[in-house]
Amino acid sequence: MSKPDISNTTAQVKESLFKRYENLTVLSIFASFVAIVVLIQLISTGGSRFPTFISPVNIVNILQQVAVPGIVAISMTMVMVSGGIDLSVGMLASMVSIVVSLGISQWHFGVGPSIFLGVASAVVLETIMGFIISRTRIEPFIITLGGMISFQGIALLLSNSREVVMQGELNFLTINLVEGARDPVTGLILRIPPYVLAFFVIAVIGGLLLTYTKYGRRIYAVGTNPRAAFLAGIDVRNMRLSVYMIQGLLVGIGATMLLARINTGIITLGQGLEIDTIAMVVIGGTALSGGKGNIVGTLIGVFFLGSIANAMNLLRLPSEVQFLAKGLVVIIAVSAGDVSSQISEFRGLKREQAKARSVAATAKKGGA
Amino acid sequence: MDEILRLSHISKTFPGVRALQDIAFDLKRGEVHCLCGENGAGKSTLIKILSGAFQPDEGGQIFFNGEAVSLTPHTALRMGIHTIYQEHIVFNALNITENIFAGSEIVRRGLLQRREMRRQTENVLRYLKSDLTPDMRMSDLTSGQQKIVEIAKALVSKSNVIILDEPTASFSSSEIDTVLNIVKTVKEDGIGVIYISHHLDEVFEIGDRATVLRDGRRVSVHPIAGLTKTALIKDMVGRDPSTFYKRERVERGEVALEVMNVTGNGVRDVSFKVHRGEVLGFAGMVGSGRSELMEVLFGSAPLVYGEIKIDGKSVKHGSPKNAIQNKMCFITESRQTSGLFLPKTIAENVAVANMVNTREFITRPANDLLTGEKYVKILNIKAPSAHTRVVNLSGGNQQKVVLGKWFNTGGEIYIFDEPSLGIDVGSKQEIYKVMVDLLKERKAILMVSSDMPEVISMSDRVIVFKQGQIAGELTGEELTEENILTLSIGDRKE
Repeated sequence: MSKPDISNTTAQVKESLFKRYENLTVLSIFASFVAIVVLIQLISTGGSRFPTFISPVNIVNILQQVAVPGIVAISMTMVMVSGGIDLSVGMLASMVSIVVSLGISQWHFGVGPSIFLGVASAVVLETIMGFIISRTRIEPFIITLGGMISFQGIALLLSNSREVVMQGELNFLTINLVEGARDPVTGLILRIPPYVLAFFVIAVIGGLLLTYTKYGRRIYAVGTNPRAAFLAGIDVRNMRLSVYMIQGLLVGIGATMLLARINTGIITLGQGLEIDTIAMVVIGGTALSGGKGNIVGTLIGVFFLGSIANAMNLLRLPSEVQFLAKGLVVIIAVSAGDVSSQISEFRGLKREQAKARSVAATAKKGGA
Repeated sequence: MDEILRLSHISKTFPGVRALQDIAFDLKRGEVHCLCGENGAGKSTLIKILSGAFQPDEGGQIFFNGEAVSLTPHTALRMGIHTIYQEHIVFNALNITENIFAGSEIVRRGLLQRREMRRQTENVLRYLKSDLTPDMRMSDLTSGQQKIVEIAKALVSKSNVIILDEPTASFSSSEIDTVLNIVKTVKEDGIGVIYISHHLDEVFEIGDRATVLRDGRRVSVHPIAGLTKTALIKDMVGRDPSTFYKRERVERGEVALEVMNVTGNGVRDVSFKVHRGEVLGFAGMVGSGRSELMEVLFGSAPLVYGEIKIDGKSVKHGSPKNAIQNKMCFITESRQTSGLFLPKTIAENVAVANMVNTREFITRPANDLLTGEKYVKILNIKAPSAHTRVVNLSGGNQQKVVLGKWFNTGGEIYIFDEPSLGIDVGSKQEIYKVMVDLLKERKAILMVSSDMPEVISMSDRVIVFKQGQIAGELTGEELTEENILTLSIGDRKE
């Protein structure tokens, strides 16, 4: 086995551009999506008006819509890179909104302590789940499914199945940070509330944490090969626990932001949040099996999924279409990488076959 | 006794390796024919040819009942050649009947004939004088009982030949007796049995003939009657001297690691010392407890009793983390499952183990890359750069990445578990050289190896393991293949 082995390794392993930059595939799909929407808009208006889809005011609109799912998607990326998953984030967010709104409007704890109580309860509950997940061999899918159902129960018990209306005590979280700014294209007012800023800050911190810290590199190690990580001196159990604690913190923050927008603590507040965030993360290239993925990819996934509903709206398509479109995007984005590598393998095979045929043909000629 | 199976001039070549060379072999009805030989002698390749998993090179012939045949997994099964591999292939959630008929269910008009299958299972279990019942769930059985079910499966599908590959590895002695009795029953029914075992006393208890393989060649065939163990071992040893490596000797220093009465993880009461500048080899059969001992020493398996001293200081390794901090390194047997992060780059792999020794929270990928490049150069890893993903490297270069990962921790005591398993000859020599370099830097090495030339030529001393205990220690002139084999496969302790 000696000879072929050595030559094999010196072969400069040429990876395709798409493989080397793992976010390129989804970025190009997203870019084509944007291009198509813009093109349709240009054609339908005969090119007389600026395509509203990429106008600053619309982009800021999309940002407001994706900020909260985006915040949760950051910690979901960490959980999934470590090899886990969390189905409970939606119901946990609903529960936090009810805890905070109850704290403010019925228990009269004051705004600060109520927010703290809400966020702390999210961290505690996620810690409990993380503890079970990291200390047993039970699938995270099942534990967090159980968590999702129980959190729904807690939320309904706390609120007596009613909504908790507030008097705008959290309005300071929805103020416009760029008061007076206007869109140069449409002349409409631009609004950048604090939660959009928070999303950006959290995304940057999350990205740096995953790439430039020991902690982040260890999350990848645990997700890639837990056994090897353990033998390399990494405390695999506490690493797995810690990502769920971070998840709790960010769900708590996100839910408070969402509550500020809606002003009502209600069980439907976080409905579907787990589906959206998991979809965003997998569109961004994070593998369900762990060890692969990054925050930049997740950000692309966040904007991609967030802009679909908006685009459907601008194109005057019925809103029901957006679910179909979202579903297709998930499938296309996730399978694109695999399909492209299968195509290149198939081409390589064809090339080799052609080569072998030509070699055989010349050999025959020489023999004759 | 008439002949059922005959092989003549069977060779098998893998790219670069001659696994089998001109093998002749025959099997008669009602005979137990044992295959003996060291690890890597070619036994597994031979039975894979018989089960149809491998096709022999051109020129070889296989006769079944006197007719020339070519064997594929399908035709082998149709002729009733049934191979029972060392690893259990069972469905744990199903019961015995369902396991026996998995893939060959009795069906009439599209309906499963449950009662008929259960009846046949009952019959065969009674025939094997087993106290198992058809409805027992597979996951509730011991590995010895599971082996019986596999043999029962072979009998139900009307076998002519049963091949048993290491059927008793890691069994208790009463389970071994049960399996041996079953083999005797089966043989009386006129079925030919090919039996592979490292335990020579089993060979002598049930075998009729023994064929010895060495380095892919057939050395001899003996009738068991009148044969002695010493004669058999003599045939198994005597390798080609060119396979041995001449190693530079290094002056022995003070004791680096002392192990006293260590018990746990299947290992009992093990004591030894390793000096700096010395390779202490661990020989023995696969499953004799050597890797299990290393796990205990490295803290990845619990220490039940005993003491571990590093440089004279008693240490307690609660986890690999402590072990690494105490300057230990563990190059595991299976680099892909427990040593490497395959989709990650060389740089990332090299950086990972040293994280327990660094205080900084911030890591700089650029620094990791520099460290990676350093080890690519030092260890002569054949890769374009430290950015290369490990999955794209060959076995030998992957092993070097594992070494780089541990060198980067600045370890003093190195555990090599099968350091050259599955790597090419060139990389093997390079890894041996690296080991000698470590000795020159006054490090200590513990080396588990089932590769006879490797363990003899690389070790200063060799501890032979058997059934989780030290069977003996060999050094200097006594360090021969024959002595290692005698210690590791000698009489079973009762």
